[in-house]
Amino acid sequence: MQGIEGQNSATTTAAAAGGGGLYTLPPARFSSEDILFCIDVDPECLVEMKVTGPNGRPFTRLDTIKQGILLFIHSKLAINPDHRFAFTVLGKSVSWLRKEFSGEVDAALSAFRGLSADSSSSGQADLTQLFRIAAHEAKKSRAQNRILRVILMYCRSSVPPQHQWLATQKVFTLDVIYLHDKPGPDNCPQKVYDSLVEALELVTEYEGYIYESGQGLTRILLRHMCILLSHPQQRCVQDDVDVPKSLTKKSPTTESASVDESAPVSSQ
Amino acid sequence: MVSDRIPPLISTQLTHLLAHCPISIKVEQMWSGCMNSSLLDHFTLVIPFCLEYVRWDIIYNAIYPLAKPDVIFGPEDEHFRPYRGTIDSKNALTDWNSKDPTRLLTLVLELRDYQKKRVAEVDDERLKFEISTMLSREGIEMLMSSGLDKPEEVKFAVPLLDMDLNKMVLGSTWRHQQKIYLQVIYPVGRKYSTTPSAPRLKLVSSPELKSWFSVEESRLPAWLDGMCMAEYLPTLEEMLENQIREAVALVEVRRKFITALAPHFGRPIEADPVFCRKVSFLASSGTFAFLVHISIPLQFPKQQPVLVLQSSQHFNSHNVPIKSPIMNDYPWSPRWETSVMAERIFDFLVEECLNFKRYCNETMLQQR
Repeated sequence: MQGIEGQNSATTTAAAAGGGGLYTLPPARFSSEDILFCIDVDPECLVEMKVTGPNGRPFTRLDTIKQGILLFIHSKLAINPDHRFAFTVLGKSVSWLRKEFSGEVDAALSAFRGLSADSSSSGQADLTQLFRIAAHEAKKSRAQNRILRVILMYCRSSVPPQHQWLATQKVFTLDVIYLHDKPGPDNCPQKVYDSLVEALELVTEYEGYIYESGQGLTRILLRHMCILLSHPQQRCVQDDVDVPKSLTKKSPTTESASVDESAPVSSQ
Repeated sequence: MVSDRIPPLISTQLTHLLAHCPISIKVEQMWSGCMNSSLLDHFTLVIPFCLEYVRWDIIYNAIYPLAKPDVIFGPEDEHFRPYRGTIDSKNALTDWNSKDPTRLLTLVLELRDYQKKRVAEVDDERLKFEISTMLSREGIEMLMSSGLDKPEEVKFAVPLLDMDLNKMVLGSTWRHQQKIYLQVIYPVGRKYSTTPSAPRLKLVSSPELKSWFSVEESRLPAWLDGMCMAEYLPTLEEMLENQIREAVALVEVRRKFITALAPHFGRPIEADPVFCRKVSFLASSGTFAFLVHISIPLQFPKQQPVLVLQSSQHFNSHNVPIKSPIMNDYPWSPRWETSVMAERIFDFLVEECLNFKRYCNETMLQQR
């Protein structure tokens, strides 16, 4: 990558070729997405974020998740208006919040009106039903030349999710956003994170991404949601994700280096 | 209306027509022939014909459900008498059976065929000649239209190019066969004048094609005096074929451009791999993360890509992420190398994203 296209001067640096090697865009068949959100409604989703919302009201994890999903939907539709969305919630197990996949933002807004946190914790998070629903919906999506993706938004710091899913076939992609408390003697976010990774690796068809944050900053969640916008059929492995890319001027030292290289040639 | 109902025999006929018709006919409106009734026994069919639509009113009578319907043609078909001269022979109306669900479809298709045959009766030497040279072409549609105030005209829809356009674009998911037609409109005149006027010409394509090829941008070859269709069509088709091949090559030009953006903007969030018309990136300036949407016109690189930025952190009063105005006027030259084009867009956005951040902050402040 470095120096292969000699004429490109200082702009082709090693970092610029990130994302897992030289980027190519082969003329492959390309499917629009059916995206199934699964929102954790355990009381832990009511933990407050660091920054208050408008009017100084406390901004909970659930508020942030709703904002993140709205950002995601608006952005995804701006990228391609053919993507669609549906919603489930996770308490003890998973149930439908809005079943029909729709590309209308209003569908999400009306689903959110029916969204509220559980009043007490169930102490359990069983993902089996989520995977069962996803596998069933994935068949329908495939018949319409679409792919199914699940985005799980999880909030519990001491309860690792479990499931009894065999995943004999990988028919949907799984992404995870994990919001948690800072690690301490009374919780185990690392253990929870590891179970989420395990579940992801077991079920996901295309490369799935998982992002976590214990900092309580909305901005970070929104940034992670933007990375999740990436289309599963065009992803690199998570370790190679090189976005967002910083839009800054190229440093002066590299520019003068190329000038020095050309000077001896012209002086001849 | 309390209970608008379609009488069952009529409903069965109409349902069968809509489900089984090889061309896509639509029902535009339904109404009742009787003032006091809520039974819908009249309706208008919109029928694609010769790259346009004709509207025929089908008139049933709910009081006599076994009777055959009447058909009222549009004003341009004032002189259309489909069964004139065929009194003794069988046609879809003499052979009517209200209990057979297929009869309405048969009637409509038969009438449509008669429309075509009208053209053969036209009393115009030049037109007769043109038609004779085109009969060998498959798939031509002809339509005669005349009205009280309009002169008589004959329209042709000539399918062009014997190529499977769907196969020319790798990975395309077009569900229907894409096709390009030439619509030709001749005025009908009685005498063969020494310099017959040129017909009106227009290229029409199936709708999905426009993400890859725009017939609007195609300049038709000139129709020279005294030319006839048999001479014009080969010239037109040769020109179109070149344009099609150019469209195939231009996909790769756009693909190369998208690839050239990656070293600057990182791996795209999503890019269109089939027509290469759009790509979106996730970028940042300090802690400000935003999306960069780039749409690439069919005339690229003559016409420059359109840029729009979208914030991930600023929302308007309807909770919609704030977008920049569209940018299509930045420094640009189609003669630049692809890599230089990418570099210049990058440099432009390095500056512009700071303006965008200010714009977002200002917009948010205005909403307080």
